[in-house]
Amino acid sequence: MSRLWKEFSKGLWTDLPPFKIVLGLCPVLAVTKTADNGFGMGLAVIFVLTLSNVFVSAVRKIIPAKVRIACFIVIAASLVVAVELLMQAYAYPLYQQLGIFVPLIVVNCIILGRAEAFASKNTVLLSAADGFGMGVGFTMSLTFLGGLRELFGYGTLFGSQIMPESFKPFSFMIEAPGAFVCLGIVLAAMNAFTNRQRRKKGLAVLDNPTHDCKTCGICGH
Amino acid sequence: MNETIKMIVVLSLICGLSGFTLATLKDATNDKIEEQVLTYVQGPAISDVLVGYDNSPVKDRKKFDIPGTDQQVTVFPALKDGKLFGVALETFAKGYGGNVGVMVGFNIDGANLSGIGVTTMKETPGIGSRVAKQGFTSQFSGHPAKVELSSKGGDINGIAGATISSTASVEAVKQAINIFGQIKPQLAAAWTKGS
Amino acid sequence: MKEFFLLFVSAIFVNNIVLAQYLGNCPFIGTSKKISVAVGMGSAVVFVATMAASITWAVQEYLLDPLGLQYLQTLTFILVIAALVQFVEMFLKKAVPPLYKALGIFLPLITTNCAIMGIAIICQREDFTFGKTVAFSFASGLGFMMALIVLSAIREKIEISRVPKAMQGTPIALIMAGLMSLAFFAFKGMI
Repeated sequence: MSRLWKEFSKGLWTDLPPFKIVLGLCPVLAVTKTADNGFGMGLAVIFVLTLSNVFVSAVRKIIPAKVRIACFIVIAASLVVAVELLMQAYAYPLYQQLGIFVPLIVVNCIILGRAEAFASKNTVLLSAADGFGMGVGFTMSLTFLGGLRELFGYGTLFGSQIMPESFKPFSFMIEAPGAFVCLGIVLAAMNAFTNRQRRKKGLAVLDNPTHDCKTCGICGH
Repeated sequence: MNETIKMIVVLSLICGLSGFTLATLKDATNDKIEEQVLTYVQGPAISDVLVGYDNSPVKDRKKFDIPGTDQQVTVFPALKDGKLFGVALETFAKGYGGNVGVMVGFNIDGANLSGIGVTTMKETPGIGSRVAKQGFTSQFSGHPAKVELSSKGGDINGIAGATISSTASVEAVKQAINIFGQIKPQLAAAWTKGS
Repeated sequence: MKEFFLLFVSAIFVNNIVLAQYLGNCPFIGTSKKISVAVGMGSAVVFVATMAASITWAVQEYLLDPLGLQYLQTLTFILVIAALVQFVEMFLKKAVPPLYKALGIFLPLITTNCAIMGIAIICQREDFTFGKTVAFSFASGLGFMMALIVLSAIREKIEISRVPKAMQGTPIALIMAGLMSLAFFAFKGMI
């Protein structure tokens, strides 16, 4: 039980994607114009990530090592197509809002990265916990970033007016430049917080988590 | 050799299984998706071109065969107190950057159009896309069911610099009028009370 | 002709694939530490994006559309792209070793580069003809390469300046990318 909780909870803070493990930046930047969109994207990722971890883990013993990646891609892509169909059937406005970033979940490094780094080595239950935890963490991050940009960009949060009448929204926040700068500042704040915590405990300050494809593990680059 | 066979078997098994699952899911969600697309893509245009109905045109839609061809057309009815007073149907014509889709509304009693709305459109932003704007489409509201561009002797003013887009929209409206004329006899009986 | 020119300029500057469309950000941040790496990655993207968009266009036109299997687009495209990347890698290794030496290490990365898949899907959603697909994907690849090289040049300079500890690495790179994106906003008025 405690092991299960450990695998689940690491996605919520210690390995929080995409702030602690810098992966899958495109949807993070693209769909966080509003908190709603960020949350919706997060839900789709939870679905795909949890199930892909479960399936990959279930077949890990019968897959020959050579076609491992191909199998992961087929599993992830099938789940993404399932999400596309379900979204069109039950949440069409969200599907329109997220646009091409719904099919692009399949190339999000988080999905294949977790399959390769965790699910292909662990039991079904642990893999499910890992995928679900990472997915929930990703959803929290996206909703937070979306909320931040929506609050300053439109003066609203989840569509309801928060800022006073006199507030003039900065349209900068909802455009592409705002997305980059906003994510950069949030990342820096996270780093500053972690460093402070470590200093308090008397530990040496670590290097910042960098984005490199090693974390993905797929390509061995 | 053994390894290769195993590879092929596993891969095709996974592909087959996922293909089968997806096909099933597609079948299960097909109707729901069609309805959602109609509600969110065609829906706004329908509420633009038909006014004063108390039913749901998307839910009550019906397909009609166009006499003389093997094509079908989806017709959206506008009912008030269970009585049909108008219909809308969508037609397409080739524009500058692809198909221009136009939703055309008809009053069932008279021969007048109740309005048109542009549904799909990939014209040059700012020029051709002005056919989607009020100024152009409002010319059709209450217009007799015979349209022609002013450059060809009619009374619809095209958009300067966007001849192809204007012509395409008018072509689509003409098509719709033509189809409406052909299926008109079938319409009244299709949405009587209780059906 | 004018149409193609506009498409080209728009794909490189106005709707730059990274700076305005939010595609391919992982390699954009991940491989922009050195100019030499950026040039290699950029050329690999130009090459693969053009080929992938052309092949997926044909797959959609001659396989998915006639069979009514449009809903399998995502699945088919990713498999085609993955296979293509493998194939290109093998081909370059055998036939053009110098090119393989320059691009080889970037090729495996490209399967999960959402710019490649994104460009292929955009071409379908915009209903491009084959000619336009080739022009658009090539120009988008060039746009990616340009943004990547400019960012890596900036980051090489930042490397030797004093940046607050918490901002080092990815955060400052993202903020630089934001400023570049703001600069590219100026092109919006052009078309």
